[in-house]
Order: sequence, then C-alpha cells, then structure tokens
Amino acid sequence: MSGQALHIRVWEDEFIVYGSLSGNTHLLGPVAAHVLSRLQEAPSDAATLAESLPPLLQANFDGELVPEIEHLLADLGSLELIERA
Amino acid sequence: MTLAELEFQLKKTGIFLQTGSFITHLQTSIPGVAEGIGLLYADYPLLEQTDFTDFHVSLAYPRTLRRWFKPQVLFLFDGKPPFKPLPLDQAFPMFEWGLNWCVSSHANHCLIIHAAVVEKGGYAAILPAPPGSGKSTLCAALVNRGWRLLSDELALVRVSDGLIIPLPRPVSLKNASIDVIRHYEPEATLSRRISDTMKGTVAHMKVPADSIARAAETARPAWVIFPKYQAGAATRLEALPRARAFMRVADNAFNYSLLGVRGFETMAGLIDASLCYDFTYSVLDEAIETFAELKPPVSLM
Repeated sequence: MSGQALHIRVWEDEFIVYGSLSGNTHLLGPVAAHVLSRLQEAPSDAATLAESLPPLLQANFDGELVPEIEHLLADLGSLELIERA
Repeated sequence: MTLAELEFQLKKTGIFLQTGSFITHLQTSIPGVAEGIGLLYADYPLLEQTDFTDFHVSLAYPRTLRRWFKPQVLFLFDGKPPFKPLPLDQAFPMFEWGLNWCVSSHANHCLIIHAAVVEKGGYAAILPAPPGSGKSTLCAALVNRGWRLLSDELALVRVSDGLIIPLPRPVSLKNASIDVIRHYEPEATLSRRISDTMKGTVAHMKVPADSIARAAETARPAWVIFPKYQAGAATRLEALPRARAFMRVADNAFNYSLLGVRGFETMAGLIDASLCYDFTYSVLDEAIETFAELKPPVSLM
C-alpha cells in the first residue's frame, strides 16, 4: 500500500503488525502473516498466494484454498494492511 | 512539620512535592487534603524552591451558592478544572485521581500503562488489569512482603530505553480490599475511608519508606502478569503467548496510539523482555509464594 510502512514482530507462531497509515495494531496468525509478507514483496492474486503457502500452513484449511485466501485478502484490505486492485 | 504547619503552608504558598521524577506544586485550603498529605506523604521530599514544576495543582471550593449547603471540591490544573467538582469529603481521593490524570495526560516520554508495578532484585513485574481485578490488593500485599513499589496505577515505560520509571504513590484500595489489607498487614498505614465515591468506598495505603527512598532507581521489565482475583479459586499462573499479551497490554495503555510507531516499538521491547502470564488467585499468601518463585527471563540473567 502506497505510503504504508508495516512494523512486524513475531512471537511463537503469532504476528503483531502495526500499520503506519491507520496507526492500528493487529494480531495475525501464520497464514495471514505469510500472505502479507508475500504481498510486501510484490503484488499477487489469491491463486498464486494459495500456491505459495507451505504445506504446513495449507493444512490449516479444510476446504478450497483459493476462496479462503480471497476471504483473507478481503479481511486484510478492511484492516488497511493491503490495497486491493 | 506539624499538621497545622502543613495546613498553613498549603494554604499560603503551597508545597512542592516530589513523587518519583515528577514535581507537583500543590496549593489548597481544604483541611482533608492536608490530613491526607500529612499522613501518606510524610516520607516524600518536599522541595523548598524549584526551577521547574511538572504540575501546578490546586484544590478549591467552587464559587457557587451550593457551597453553603452541599460543599464541593474542585481540582484545578494550571488554574483550570479538567473535571466536574466532587463532594468535599472526597477532596483527598480527588487529589490522587487528579495527579494520576496529570501524569497519564502529559508524560509522553513514556509508554503509560494502567498497571501496578513492583520490583525485586532489579526485575520489575508489571500487573496490568482493569478495575475490579484485584490488582491493587495484590500490589499492596506484595509491597508489604518485600517487593518495592514502583507504582500502583501507572506503569511508566521510558520510550528511550524501555526501563520502568518509578512513581511510588499511595496504593488505592477499594471496598472489600480495604479490610483485606488491614487484616493482612495490621502495621500498614491507611487513610480514613471515604464512602460513596464513583469507585465505591476508597482508602489509600502509605507507601513503604524504602520504595520512596529508591524512587530514582529504574527497573528492567521481566514479567507481565495479568492478575485476577476470583473468590475460592486455586492459585494458578499460566503462560500467556507474547503476541496475546502485547494486545492486552496495549488495551490497558493510555498513550499507545498517541505515540505511534514509538509506542509499538516500546511495547514490543517490553514484551520481548518479559515472560507473560495470566494469574488467578484468591489467597494472598499463596499469591506471594507464587511471586517469590518467579524466575527472570534467561535473556536478562
């Protein structure tokens, strides 16, 4: 997100993210943190992000992975941590 | 200084009272405030003159007709009242609450957390908790059993280095906890009870002299412990994931958002340095034993 600086701390398998634009702090699980980290490197879509998930994290999902990632992206967007195209 | 001399000085020129790193100029002609200051602040440094004062505070009678039939007290900061007046009998508690407000509204060189802080061996235990959790009762018991009081209400984490700055001021006890501490430590000095305040019945406990004498000694954070008094419950100390502790401490901070990224970094440093726990108790002696067995994080040893 333009002008956004994310500050991240990792403890065990949980992540605390501070967004400089909103000034808000969020507690994220490992899947959300992985997706956020990939999106910081380069823009991407749900399918690509789903493929990039390590098998251990994929095990967090029961059903179809891509719709779950779409849902996660919507959540991250509503938290102003990412910008959706 | 006798009570009469204190009353005279408070009325005439005011006093410069040093609590931790803060200097407050207090002026009042209300006898109840002098009584509380004389009882609970006798061991604090009174400065003759000072080049700098953090807070200019006075407690006064509002200039309304009401003072003739239902007298009230007004807390003034720099001559202006930040709060509505309270019944006159609540003058001393109002001074205490007002001073908390002064610090929590202005000390932005620190991350300020609504928490008690006690220290032993250079390591500080931070006890953040909402009202009613038994925080002050536990804090009062700990400082009567060898822990140093850094603060009963406001944990001050210095942004520049993450150390805890002491602010030892009287411990605020409410309702049943007044008698609990009176029985637990009969030697403790407590102010007279004031009933029907917004917090119920309140009384303040005098800080042990050693905690006041060491008010310039900072401490390293070592534990973040969320206390919860629960009648009849077994004493239980449970590890709390650090990320969860971060969010809960942030919920109890006054100026976390105001400090922006500095608040985030300071909080992260505090959590990094600390072991974090939930603590449930009902018996104070068992709680004291549990605290005595706390080991500091390996990184600090």
